[in-house]
Amino acid sequence: MSVANEKIVSDLLKPIGYGKGFLIWMSFLTAILIACLYAYSIQLREGLGVTGLRDYVSWGIYIANFVFFVATSLIGMLISAVLGLTNIKWASPLARIAEIISLAFAAVAGLVIISDMGRPDRFLYLFFYGRIQSPIIWDVTVVTTYVVISILLLYLPMIPDIALCRDRLTHLPKWQRKIYEILSVNWQNTPEQQHIIRQGVKTLLILIIPVALAIHTVTSWLFAVTHRPGWDSTIFGPYFVTGAFVSGTAAVIIAMYVFRRIYHLEQYITAELFDKIGKLLVLVSLVYLYFNINEYLVPVYKLKHADAAHLHELFQGRFAILYWSVQIGGLLIPIILLLFKPMRRPLPLFIVAIFVIVGAWFKRYLIVIPTMQHPFLPIQNVPIEYQIYKPTLIEIAITVAPIILVLMIITILSKTFPILPIQEVENHENN
Amino acid sequence: MRIIKYFLSLTLLLIFLQTALLSAEEWEVPADKAKRTSPYLFDENARKKGEDIFKRSCASCHGIPGQGNNIKSLVPIPPDLKEAKVQKRSDGELFYMITTGRGAMPSFKNSLTEQERWQVISYIRSFNKDYVQPPLAKLVDSAKLRSVQIIPFFDTVKFKVSVLVKAFQKTDTLPLPDAEVSLFVKRYFGNLPIDSIRITPSNGKVTFNFPSNLPGDSTGNIQLIVKVNHEMFGELEKLYVAKLGVPTIKPPLTEKRAMWNVGKKAPLWLIFSYLIVVGAIWFFLVRIILSIRKIKQSGKNPKL
Repeated sequence: MSVANEKIVSDLLKPIGYGKGFLIWMSFLTAILIACLYAYSIQLREGLGVTGLRDYVSWGIYIANFVFFVATSLIGMLISAVLGLTNIKWASPLARIAEIISLAFAAVAGLVIISDMGRPDRFLYLFFYGRIQSPIIWDVTVVTTYVVISILLLYLPMIPDIALCRDRLTHLPKWQRKIYEILSVNWQNTPEQQHIIRQGVKTLLILIIPVALAIHTVTSWLFAVTHRPGWDSTIFGPYFVTGAFVSGTAAVIIAMYVFRRIYHLEQYITAELFDKIGKLLVLVSLVYLYFNINEYLVPVYKLKHADAAHLHELFQGRFAILYWSVQIGGLLIPIILLLFKPMRRPLPLFIVAIFVIVGAWFKRYLIVIPTMQHPFLPIQNVPIEYQIYKPTLIEIAITVAPIILVLMIITILSKTFPILPIQEVENHENN
Repeated sequence: MRIIKYFLSLTLLLIFLQTALLSAEEWEVPADKAKRTSPYLFDENARKKGEDIFKRSCASCHGIPGQGNNIKSLVPIPPDLKEAKVQKRSDGELFYMITTGRGAMPSFKNSLTEQERWQVISYIRSFNKDYVQPPLAKLVDSAKLRSVQIIPFFDTVKFKVSVLVKAFQKTDTLPLPDAEVSLFVKRYFGNLPIDSIRITPSNGKVTFNFPSNLPGDSTGNIQLIVKVNHEMFGELEKLYVAKLGVPTIKPPLTEKRAMWNVGKKAPLWLIFSYLIVVGAIWFFLVRIILSIRKIKQSGKNPKL
C-alpha cells in the first residue's frame, strides 16, 4: 500500500469509536427521545384524542412527516444508482452518506405510520385483512423492500471497509471488534469475493431505481387516488419523486457539512464536492419548480369549484404565509442563490440546504392538511376545532421522535463504519 | 305568428302568476275537513311514533320544529312547524294538508295511514305548550272493522287484479258496497298507485288494470297493498304477493372481481402483477443475501 493510501485509510478510520463527544451527543438525543416516548405513552393510553386530529383532519403532521421521511430516503437511489450507473465519478465518495441517510429515513418512516394509528396493536391486521387493491398495502410492501435494498446497498460495498476496521482498529473494545469480524464475513479481498460483491451491487443499483420510484409514487397515490382538491392530480407521482430529490440532496449536503467539520475530513469532503452537489441541488430544484408550476398553474387556470376554494386558502387565505414562504424561501431563492459560485462554498451551501429541508417539511404539511380541511360533504354543526387543525404539544413531541431516531441511527452508523468508502476515495485521489 | 307569440307570452304570464299566487296565497281548507278532529289520543306513544315518521318523511324539508333548519331555498318556503302560523291551524286543517299536499309538498294519502298522519300531528303539537287536544272523534266500531274481509284475485295472464270486499252486515257476512278500494305496489319510497280508486258496487267486487312491465324480484313477485276505506267500517290495509312483475335479476356490484370489492375478489390482473413484480424483486434480493454466505465460504479457503 502506498504512503498516500496509508494516510487515507488512517484518516478515514480515525473518527471511528465511541468517544466522549459521541456519548454526550447520544445522551442528549436519548433524553429528548425519552421525553417524546413519554408523549407517545400518553397517546397510547388516551388515544388519538390527545392530538389535534379530528374527523376533518385525520392525517395531520404524522402523515406529513411520513411523506417527508419517504421523500428524503430517496436520495440513496439518486446518488448511488442514477449517478453511479451513469459513471458520474465526483459523486461516488458521497454514496455511503447518501445510503446511510436513505436507510435511516426509510426504516423510521414505517414507525411514523404506526404513530398515526390509534390502535397500533392492530397493525398486523393489515396483513390478515388488507386488500391488495389498496395503495396502503402497496406502500407497506414497497417500503419494506426499499429498507432491505438500502441495508444491502449500504452493507455490501462496505464489507472491504469493515474488514479494514477488523484488521486495523485493534485498540477498540473486544465486543466491537467481534462485530467487525462477523460483519466482514471472512473478507480476504480475493478476486472471487470481489466478483460477488461487484455483481450484487450492480443488481442492487438496478433494482433500487424502480423500487425507489415506486416507494414515492405509491406514497403519492395514497393521496392522488382520491377525488379531493389538491390531491386529485395525475402528476402527483413525478411531483413527489422530484420533490424527494430536493429534500434528499439537502439532507446529504447538511450531513456532508457536519461530518466534514466534526470528523475533520476537509481533505476528502472537498469544497469542490460542495460546489458539484450545489449544482445538483439547483438541477433537482429546477425540475421540482417545473412540476410545481404544473401542479398549481393548471388548476388555477381552470379554477374548478372545489379547487378554487383550496387554492384560495393556499394563495391568499389561511395558509398563504406558509405557502409563499415555502415556495419562495425553500425553492425559488435557493435556486437563484446557488446559481452563484460563492454561494456553493460549504458554509453558505449548508445554510441554504437547511432552508431547503425545512421548506420541504412544511411543503408536505401544505400537501396533507389544507385539503383535509375542505371536505366535499362538510359535517354539520361541528365544533370549530374540527375544522381548523392545530397540532397539540404531544403530537409535536411524537413527530420529533422519528427525527431524533434518524439522527441516532446516522450517528451510530457514522461512528461505527467509515463514512466515506475508502476504496472509492483512494481511486478518486489517485486519479 | 303574432297570435302564437301573444298566446305564448300569455301562457308564460299565467304560469308565473300561478306560482306567485301559490306561494303568497293562504292554503284554503274546506270547512268540513277543517273541523275534523283526531279519533286517537295524542299521548306520549303517539308522539314518539309521530316523531319517527316525521324524521323520515317531513324533516328533510321542514327541518326539526323549533330549530329553524327548514330549507329556505324552496318556493314557497316549507315552514318550521313550530311557527305560530302553523300552530294556529286546526288539527283538521293540518290533517287535510298532510293528506292532499300542494305544490312541492307531496300528498301522504297513499304512504301514511290515517292513524300515522294523526301521529305526525301529535308530534307537531308537542312543540306547542298551549295546545289542548279537542274532544276525540268517534272511532269506527272495531268489531265492525274486524269483520271486513278482502279477497283478491290475481290474473297473471291478462294482468288484472280483482278485489272482493265482504263484511258482516246485520246477520251475515255479505259483499260490501260503497267501499273505496285502492291498489298500490310497494316500493322503497312511497307506494306506487295502480289504476284509479274504485268504489265497490252492490256485488262488492272491483277490478284494476295492472301494468305488464313492472319490475319484480328474481321470480317476478311483486308486493301489492290493497286499501279499503268505508265510512262505517273504517280503513283496512293488507299486503299480498303476486307474480305480476317482470323477473328482474340485478347482480350486485360486489359480485364480480373489481377494484372496489373485498380482498378475496380483487382483479386477477392486479394480483398477478403484484405477485410477479414483488416476486421478481425479492428473487434477486434473496439471491444477493445468499451470496453473502458465499463470500464467507470463499474467505475460509481462498483460491488465490
